[in-house]
Amino acid sequence: MTHTQKRIITNNIVMILSALSAIIGIGFLFWILGVLVLNGIDALSWTIFTQEGAPPGYEESGLKHALIGQLFIVGIATVVGVPLGILAGTYLSEYGQMSKLAQTVRDISDIMMSAPSIVIGAFVYAIVVAPMGHFSGWAGSIALTIIMLPIILRTTDDMLQLVPSTLREAAFALGASKYKVITQIVYRGAKAGILTGVLLGVARVAGETAPLLFTSFNDNFLNTDMSEPMASLTVTMYNYATSPYEDWQKLGWAAAFILSMFILSLNIIGRLFLLKKKGK
Amino acid sequence: MATIVTITEEKALEVKDFEFTYASADAPSIKKLTMPVAKNSITALIGPSGCGKTTLLRSFNRMHDLYSGNQYSGEIIFKGRNILTAKEDLISLRIQIGMIFQKPTAFPMSIFDNVAYGMRLQGIKNKTELQGRVEKALQDAALWNEVKDRLKHDANGLSGGQQQRLCIARAVAVEPEVLLFDEPTSALDPISTAGIEELIVELKNRVSIIIVTHNMQQAARVSDYTGFMYLGELIELGLTEEMFVTPKEKLTEEYITGKFG
Repeated sequence: MTHTQKRIITNNIVMILSALSAIIGIGFLFWILGVLVLNGIDALSWTIFTQEGAPPGYEESGLKHALIGQLFIVGIATVVGVPLGILAGTYLSEYGQMSKLAQTVRDISDIMMSAPSIVIGAFVYAIVVAPMGHFSGWAGSIALTIIMLPIILRTTDDMLQLVPSTLREAAFALGASKYKVITQIVYRGAKAGILTGVLLGVARVAGETAPLLFTSFNDNFLNTDMSEPMASLTVTMYNYATSPYEDWQKLGWAAAFILSMFILSLNIIGRLFLLKKKGK
Repeated sequence: MATIVTITEEKALEVKDFEFTYASADAPSIKKLTMPVAKNSITALIGPSGCGKTTLLRSFNRMHDLYSGNQYSGEIIFKGRNILTAKEDLISLRIQIGMIFQKPTAFPMSIFDNVAYGMRLQGIKNKTELQGRVEKALQDAALWNEVKDRLKHDANGLSGGQQQRLCIARAVAVEPEVLLFDEPTSALDPISTAGIEELIVELKNRVSIIIVTHNMQQAARVSDYTGFMYLGELIELGLTEEMFVTPKEKLTEEYITGKFG
């Protein structure tokens, strides 16, 4: 065998191996989606959206309580976490820049991003749930905000830094103040990127279960009072799926399906924004 | 000491014993530089890379203040006052002394909003006034005919040369007294370059212009005065027509004949 032939064969082996690995990786995603769709669609019906939870065996049971609870808990976490994260990211990129404080904040939020979410749940349990004496929707929102914050902060920081400094200088050269340069020029240039960060941040926390087990806990009925325990899709799914009752298990599949579709679409929309930005 | 031609016109700017040190540097990038800038004329700054010409240019509108730790000393006199003092209002200074950058810096907004940006910063909200002044600025920048039907379009859809003229329109719209050009054509093709050069020459009736360029032919084509800088010092400032023919300093001669640089 000549040297060239050897090289071609090695090349082919490496190519096939890496292609195979890629297919296995993506295969799992489609497998998961397939199982979810098969079981989820089967469990879907209108009553899921119109009925609250019910004891096992009841025909009229649904996920309305979990959907609304999820909306409340994630919604409030978003309303608090997004502006906080964007402002903090703005500080890092525009004011703190390479200062010691800014670098420390960056390092800490990188660590926070990889912190197990159950630890954050335990932390919120200790500082909110234990003093209050009971689980609450607020505690769930706080836990999700803490998880969301470093994601939004770091993407905002990164995206703002991608805005060319000459663009900032050009605005300053026209007599703009720093605040105007940031709000009118830099934010505009980084709009798509920041939005992507927000969507990915929300998508990340919307799928969290562990921190909610410790904080908002659960409620089998509709509750809109944030200071009381509150249902969420994830915890409901966990409870229903692990129950021995077949109708509850079906609802669990439905919850899994709805949640996955929600998170999948947030991710796809987020990536579309990024693509659109790159395409420009 | 530098050879500096006597300027008969009124002066737009006067640099006196100016020194500038970057935050990260031990030694000054500009050393004890003294130089007059004539009003309503074009002064070109030439010299090899790293000679401090852009650093000097960015001192005139205090651009260096955007990054902490940079140090000025000496004086730059503009309208009878030293603009290097701490009490100088940088916003109004930058309105009076505009700047055009090496790469076009169109903002991510419409063509109209780009040109109106500086005026809106000054609080001009009247729609008719804005429209009138945007049109005039675009005409001054020889861009009006090309964009008049698509003022609402994204400015980033324009070609590089058009974007650079848009930036000139944007700078002219706030009616500055001095315009600083930092290698404005280095990212452009020859035809766009010729257009920008023509524009710069036309603008001098209304503004005093300082242009940094790597291109000696460009300096010779557009400028009235040329300053040659080397290692942070001004070596020679002369009338352009004289300096390229009979430079007084040996270094200048060596540079413009291509012996180094």
